[in-house]
Amino acid sequence: MPDPMIYLDFAASTPVDERVLDRMREVAVMNCANPSSTHAAGREAQSMIAHAAEQLASLLNVAPKTLVWTSGATESDNLAIAGGARYRAHRGKHIVTMRTEHKAVTDVFEMLANEGFEVSWVEPDASGVLDPDEFAAALRDDTQFVSIMFVNNETGVIQDIEALGTICRARDILFHVDGAQAVGKLPIDLGALPVDLLSLTGHKFYGPKGIGALYIADRPGCHVEPILFGGGQQRRIRPGTLPTDLVAGLGMAAEVASASIETDLKHLRERRLELWDGIRDIGGVTLNGDPNGFPGILNVSVEDIDGESLLLALEPVCVATGSACNSKSQEPSYVLRAIGRSDMQAQSAIRFSVGRSTTAEEVRFAADRYRAAVARLRKLAPDAAA
Amino acid sequence: MSADPYNSSVRGLFADPTHAGSVSGGKTVLVDDQGVRVELSASAESGRISAMRFRAWGCPHLLAAAEWACAAYEGGPVAALEIVPIDRIMEDLAVPAEKTGRILVLEDAIQSLGRDLKSLREGCL
Repeated sequence: MPDPMIYLDFAASTPVDERVLDRMREVAVMNCANPSSTHAAGREAQSMIAHAAEQLASLLNVAPKTLVWTSGATESDNLAIAGGARYRAHRGKHIVTMRTEHKAVTDVFEMLANEGFEVSWVEPDASGVLDPDEFAAALRDDTQFVSIMFVNNETGVIQDIEALGTICRARDILFHVDGAQAVGKLPIDLGALPVDLLSLTGHKFYGPKGIGALYIADRPGCHVEPILFGGGQQRRIRPGTLPTDLVAGLGMAAEVASASIETDLKHLRERRLELWDGIRDIGGVTLNGDPNGFPGILNVSVEDIDGESLLLALEPVCVATGSACNSKSQEPSYVLRAIGRSDMQAQSAIRFSVGRSTTAEEVRFAADRYRAAVARLRKLAPDAAA
Repeated sequence: MSADPYNSSVRGLFADPTHAGSVSGGKTVLVDDQGVRVELSASAESGRISAMRFRAWGCPHLLAAAEWACAAYEGGPVAALEIVPIDRIMEDLAVPAEKTGRILVLEDAIQSLGRDLKSLREGCL
């Protein structure tokens, strides 16, 4: 691919912040011990992990003891959903989620359905937003577990987590939120939000890959059964030797985010608007999702264009069709199909996602490239639109 | 690192399709199937294809294959359009097996064009 690449795929992964890298290098060089070891070096490693927990807890406004380290959001989602639903199974086996959730959520619900749980899939409106009243109508006396994502990874749609969580809390339903696209990017006060379980991952907010966490609220009836076995670490909820350098990196990413969220959001809004302004007048272009969604993501479809060809024609702009996790599939995005887009609209969808380092010049380049690619592919096509 | 889904041939043909467009005054066929569309047009003189162009809607492999085919057939005998070297196209362009159906749409278009050019020639005789 010709250089320079224009990276507009921050929803898939973000570059590691220099301060995070410095901290990880410092920890990796300073301490090689197993943090479970009781000798001095092990205790030092444990104190580094405890410091990281304080940094992440501060970002979320929770107690450090409510955080369980994992390998990332997929594991956190698996642990929360499988572990939470099984923990509550003796009370009821009805569980609820949305059609537009990430595969790390929907696949676990399907697995639980095979275990005898009954799943209700609630539908969002055409912009991808879930109506709290419709959500409430899907709940039953035996509903024990709900999972709803904070920010949709494909469209950037933000759900009303406070309203949905309040409904769950009133019924004592365990409420899990996939916060992979939200943590470190939106202000989240878990001290105030009625959320029981929240998944997050480091590499979505300028931390390292391979490390994430699950928040488990400190309240009665809120617990998860382990899905991994082999040690007593992390209160037997998630065994395994913790990677001290990665944990420290995630902690630093949280500290950096705490200080920069508002600035980042302003920056993302400006870049997203510039991008949208640069392409919105192209014939047949439609915005997928809520205009008031997360400003880091802009998902657009365009008529009469093959999405795969568009993706290649956009190079060296790095963007995604659907989510990165499904990008090898030739199926149109199930998320966009769930919000009523046609197969043709869904297959042409491109997700641009901007980040902290995205410049106005990069966005202009991407918009110009998009315009040119659409024009070229239409010219190449039989019966092309004007 | 993920494997590049496109080899250098596909990238080159997709980026610079010198046979894109249509031939005025020639024969044109359109095949719309398998979720893709291929339009081929060509003119012939003395039993040989003097110009061949394509327009296509589909993935990069299909567009590259259409360009590949136009370049391969142009200048050759009209009769050659009866035989489409599917295996060679699949191999040269490293077309994934799941896209075979799209290349077969191109094959249909090529053979249909061959029939039309042949009938045109016979009509002239």
